[in-house]
Amino acid sequence: MSQPSNPPEFANELEELRARADSLATQLAQSYKMASIGRLLAGIVHEINTPIGSILSNNQVLYRSLELVKSALANGDKDSLAKANRLVETCLSLIAIDKIACERISDVVRGLKTFARAESSEVRKADLNQQLQDTLKLTQGEFRQRIKVETDWGQIPQVECHGNMLSQVFLNILVNAGQAIQGEGKITVRTRHEGDSVHISIADTGPGIKPEDRPKIFAGGFTTKAVGVGTGLGLALSKKIVEETHGGSLHFESEIGIGTTFHILVPIEQKKKAEG
Amino acid sequence: MIEKASVLIVDDEEMVITSVRAYLELETNFEVHGFTEPEQAVKFLESNLVDIAVSDYLMPRMSGIQFLTRAKQLQPEATRVLLTGHADKQSAIQAINEVSLYQYVEKPWENAQLLMIIQNGIERAQLLRELRATMSELSTAHSSLKDVQKKLLKAFL
Repeated sequence: MSQPSNPPEFANELEELRARADSLATQLAQSYKMASIGRLLAGIVHEINTPIGSILSNNQVLYRSLELVKSALANGDKDSLAKANRLVETCLSLIAIDKIACERISDVVRGLKTFARAESSEVRKADLNQQLQDTLKLTQGEFRQRIKVETDWGQIPQVECHGNMLSQVFLNILVNAGQAIQGEGKITVRTRHEGDSVHISIADTGPGIKPEDRPKIFAGGFTTKAVGVGTGLGLALSKKIVEETHGGSLHFESEIGIGTTFHILVPIEQKKKAEG
Repeated sequence: MIEKASVLIVDDEEMVITSVRAYLELETNFEVHGFTEPEQAVKFLESNLVDIAVSDYLMPRMSGIQFLTRAKQLQPEATRVLLTGHADKQSAIQAINEVSLYQYVEKPWENAQLLMIIQNGIERAQLLRELRATMSELSTAHSSLKDVQKKLLKAFL
């Protein structure tokens, strides 16, 4: 039997354990974040592959068309010039398409970048309407077929926050809403300036949360989803991010057969936290 | 080609239709009909013959599989192709089994490959239609031969 540790050693050990627990929590949050992106991957791939397909095809057509235009110009007769004119018109329309396609890809990439930023990001002023729009871009592929997304952007001030962490909360609640809706439905995203906070609500037309499940939904490890679909960590982590990290509040209202609305309140200014 | 080939493209993304149309119009003399709404494409199929239907997979309200199922009912000889950015084995298997898909093409697509598939698909559809027409001619000829035979027998007996 070993001797009981003396107080300083015990304190060291405790310190180490605390540090380990902290790093595990960070790892968990990180892997959760990756899992939520993973769930959307098929949709994201679809969103990117379509414009890439168009750009690649257009590139070939543009190249070939310009070759034809060149030889038509060399011929210089009336018919050739008319043909060259038509080809130029086609080229112009394809260039317009390419611009739209590139914008579509960069929108998706910008949405992904919001999540990729380092976990220990500083508090910065952010436009939450923009962030919600970027996050919605990621779910578009997944929702496209069956869910209509309605948005109601209020006039809101910039908010001091950890932007990437809030985007994670938005994504998580949006994905939940999408999974709650069986078949076709609607998700409504709304933002408002309310006193010293910004109020974001995300409403779905899903079946609603059962009364017996309601007290448990923010508890870590609780899920009603099938294995491989949900981790049971999303809402627990979201609540922690909104309430502990930002001093805001995250709550919901739900009615069976009508749907569920999540309310996220984030203070516009972060109080300087006393270092503990 | 026996007649001017007709190609139907259905994709909720206008850009895909524009790109494929521009390419086909440059390289071929096919008639290209593009629709962003599968419902409208179904209406088109109700009164217009096509040789090949190329459809996206993920579309609002009607999926590519649902659309191609309708296309198969309306024009069984028309070749069916799925052009999809949704690379998932499940949807491929479902498409092949349920709508007897001719080809499954992934986005981003290769123009030369798509063109080959479309050309072969058109040839296949036109051969099937020709075969059907020849068979019906044959069966008409056969039954009129039988009539003649009957008359001959009557005349001689």
